[in-house]
Amino acid sequence: MQPTLSFEQAPPISVPYRFFLTAPLFGAVAGLILAWLGPAALESRWSPGALAMTHLIVVDFMLQAMCGSLLQFVAVVAGANIWRPRLVAAVVHPLITAGAVFLATAFLLEQQLLFLLAALTFATALGLFLTVMAIALLRTPARGMSIYVLRLAVFGLLVTVVLGVILAGTLGMQESLQSVWSLLTLINVHVAWGLGGWALMLVIGVSYLVVPMFQLTPAYPVWLTRLVPAGLFLVLCLWSLQLLPTGAAQAWQSGVVLAGMLLAGLFAVATLWLQSRRRRRQADVTFVFWRGAMLALLGLAASWLLFEALPQLGGHARAPLWLGVLALPGVFLSVIMGMLYKIMPFLNWLHLQRQGGTALPPPNMKQMIPERAMRAQMRLHFAALVLLLAAVLWPALALPAGLAFSASCLWLEWNLIGAARLYARFRDRIRAAAASSAASPA
Amino acid sequence: MPEPRLIDGRGMEPPEPLELAVAELGTLAPGEELVMLLNCEPLPLYAILDRSGYRYRSERRADGSNEVHIQKA
Repeated sequence: MQPTLSFEQAPPISVPYRFFLTAPLFGAVAGLILAWLGPAALESRWSPGALAMTHLIVVDFMLQAMCGSLLQFVAVVAGANIWRPRLVAAVVHPLITAGAVFLATAFLLEQQLLFLLAALTFATALGLFLTVMAIALLRTPARGMSIYVLRLAVFGLLVTVVLGVILAGTLGMQESLQSVWSLLTLINVHVAWGLGGWALMLVIGVSYLVVPMFQLTPAYPVWLTRLVPAGLFLVLCLWSLQLLPTGAAQAWQSGVVLAGMLLAGLFAVATLWLQSRRRRRQADVTFVFWRGAMLALLGLAASWLLFEALPQLGGHARAPLWLGVLALPGVFLSVIMGMLYKIMPFLNWLHLQRQGGTALPPPNMKQMIPERAMRAQMRLHFAALVLLLAAVLWPALALPAGLAFSASCLWLEWNLIGAARLYARFRDRIRAAAASSAASPA
Repeated sequence: MPEPRLIDGRGMEPPEPLELAVAELGTLAPGEELVMLLNCEPLPLYAILDRSGYRYRSERRADGSNEVHIQKA
């Protein structure tokens, strides 16, 4: 199968950009919360600070960036018609932003009303987003594994949102659903679908196209493109059996997670192997971000195995935080940052080219964001990742880790704003040239 | 007949082949041909060519890559 991109279906540039330009700001806020709360935030995964930071990162950073990318990607790669993308973005973007702020504040202040507001805004925003996306992905005539995996990812988001809204509603009303499910069971299934069924599935679906195309690697082996998403989906379904009234036998639950971790590790190894066989020796920032993300994914799988093998280590209150840092800033934010540095210059170039034609060609793609600025931000991101991992081991490092992470997100924001400003400047120049040629006599 | 100009974009990262093609199109003389070798079907390039008044034909090569021949319409 040859990869193809069709930009005739692309939504207006303002649709993805509003998501991209908001996302890093909330990463910066999460870092400041860590710096402000200090070691108390790292006591366990259940501390108010840890829960607030986690949701600022997964919803306001990751979900914003992923929704923006998906609106662009589905139109361009699947050639799918997104229903009124401008309207969808105008509704979904502010609601997701508000919902995540409600949720993070609800965790920090333990305010019931804010949990309810968060549940309501997420249900509205993501209900609309999921409906539009599901219709577009089901109706598209395009075929290929990327499309199938994107459908699975959208289903994964649906399950995550339904469970998340139930959880937020439960916390908001202090109505215990414990007679039906324990809170922990709901959280276990919510987290698994959010990280495995939505975020990782989306990364997998996107990687089949972008890794070979932009990193000039060979294509993923066909058997692997089928095995990993199908296996992951099966693992998530089996994991969800704990929601059944009879519950699932505890004994085989760790076997299910083991299978999931092995699949994730296999995907990481395959991507690193393809990267090692790339046709171009040069390694740009997107390439290094992906490599870092895949190493973090391997580290995550290896850490989980270690925690299973050494229960006294795995049972420590901060063990889940170690896994969380590897998964969120390590895997997903690294991929997202790397992709933003590729997507925004690419979109700038294509939209400007379309407006200026051959008469007023846009600046070179490599001029859209200075390479040195991207590379320096990337180094700070990985340094912040190391500091965050160190802070899990020695919580006294929470302050420098939080500040470094915050600074990295702000620097990313600055670099992305630079790209957006360059787009606006050049677009204005094209409009001025068109206006002056229309005004001058023939 | 002049030698066709060639852009071998198979080792390039998108949209570098497109950037080079757009730069070449501006100086392409009538009757002169630009040939591009690409790993993928360049749909964005076709859209640019349609809009800018160029004609093109694309052939799939044995190695799976695409050979696109472009001339002024």
